[in-house]
Amino acid sequence: MTGTQWVPLALARDITPGTSAGTVAEGAEIVVWRDTDGRAHVWEDRCPHRGMKMSFGFVRGDHIACLYHGWEFDEGGTCRKIPAHPELEVPGSICVARYGCTETGAMIWAALPLGAEAGELPALPDAVPVRSITIEAGLISVANMLLNEENAVIEGALATLDSAHGPLAIGVQPIRPGAVTLHIATRPGASTETLLAICDWAETLRRTAEKEIAA
Amino acid sequence: MSAPLLHNYDLDEDCYRARLVAACSGVALDLRNVDMFPGAEHRSDAYLRLNPLGTLPILQDEMLVLTQPEAILRRIAALDPERRLMPEDSIIAARIDDWLAFWAQHLAPAKAAREIALMATPGDLAALSARTARMLRVMEDHMTHQTIRGLGFFAGPELTLADLALFPAFALSRDHGLDHDAFPALRLWARRVRLTPGFITMPGIPDYH
Ligand code: FES
Repeated sequence: MTGTQWVPLALARDITPGTSAGTVAEGAEIVVWRDTDGRAHVWEDRCPHRGMKMSFGFVRGDHIACLYHGWEFDEGGTCRKIPAHPELEVPGSICVARYGCTETGAMIWAALPLGAEAGELPALPDAVPVRSITIEAGLISVANMLLNEENAVIEGALATLDSAHGPLAIGVQPIRPGAVTLHIATRPGASTETLLAICDWAETLRRTAEKEIAA
Repeated sequence: MSAPLLHNYDLDEDCYRARLVAACSGVALDLRNVDMFPGAEHRSDAYLRLNPLGTLPILQDEMLVLTQPEAILRRIAALDPERRLMPEDSIIAARIDDWLAFWAQHLAPAKAAREIALMATPGDLAALSARTARMLRVMEDHMTHQTIRGLGFFAGPELTLADLALFPAFALSRDHGLDHDAFPALRLWARRVRLTPGFITMPGIPDYH
């Protein structure tokens, strides 16, 4: 994929306030975290000190701290605290690179690549999260399998289709060549049985996609 | 009655399981720290007399000498008069049995991969880590379904021995290069496990607070 694009990185539900998670999109290592006020942040997953993954760290209020030496960064990505030098006025130039991010359709989205101006992502219809599922298969083959479904359309990184268990909105996150994560959501009000049936559908899709690779 | 004696090595994940189960079920243990690395004390004559397999942990309790991790965890949990990790309900108990067997049989590659990565023991790290990823995926699918059913833990709505037996294989997987990216349901489950009263960490499992 080339050019600037909005890419889904997680189901919004799965990044609970005060937590962080690492992910990879098109080969780039990324941390997705949510502050205790509930705002989501998407940054490069690399501490400017010694390169530790920020996703191994922990959230404190609206800051995230690196696990290694505890450097703390504010929601703008700027370093505010260096525990080894508590008396130091931290220069404002130590920063983690940030991605543009937004939340819609039950997913957290980022504008890729780093530094991209992706414009506004149009708001998606309300949806309930089902599950994220990682498939060890190429983007094209997974996309083709989705397009085989009823009324399937792929626009940007979002696939919509009608499954036997109701309409699905599927965010497609290319991880690296040979691996894709699908973030699956459906219409509000789906029953527990329906949600489990959609999981089964997704796991069957994964099995089929990975079997094609092995064949 | 004196507390059971655990022959312990802090960096060994099965020793950690025993300490974790004891801590979360309010059972006191006496610890004897064994110089497993680099001293190989667990393979000394004194230790081979106690456990001819030359492995840790070993639990000595009254007339018992236990050497199998699963038996050790069950024994410690059974010493809790409240049986908080082993509820009586026969369905829950059957699920606990199933997941304990899963741990014992199918998560062995996780322990082997970590030992290769940390202690430079010989073996095929890439193959073992890939095998571990497959097993974590089985766990991820299960916890995804549990969460949809409104159940927060492996065997049901409450934390049991199954969760504590499974937890280290997930929490320590980064030690052998396996990230948590593909396991959002396990990540949230691990957070719930961490909130258990008495929960303790080991080196490699960060203590956030
Ligand atoms: S590497 Fe992050 S604080 Fe040192």
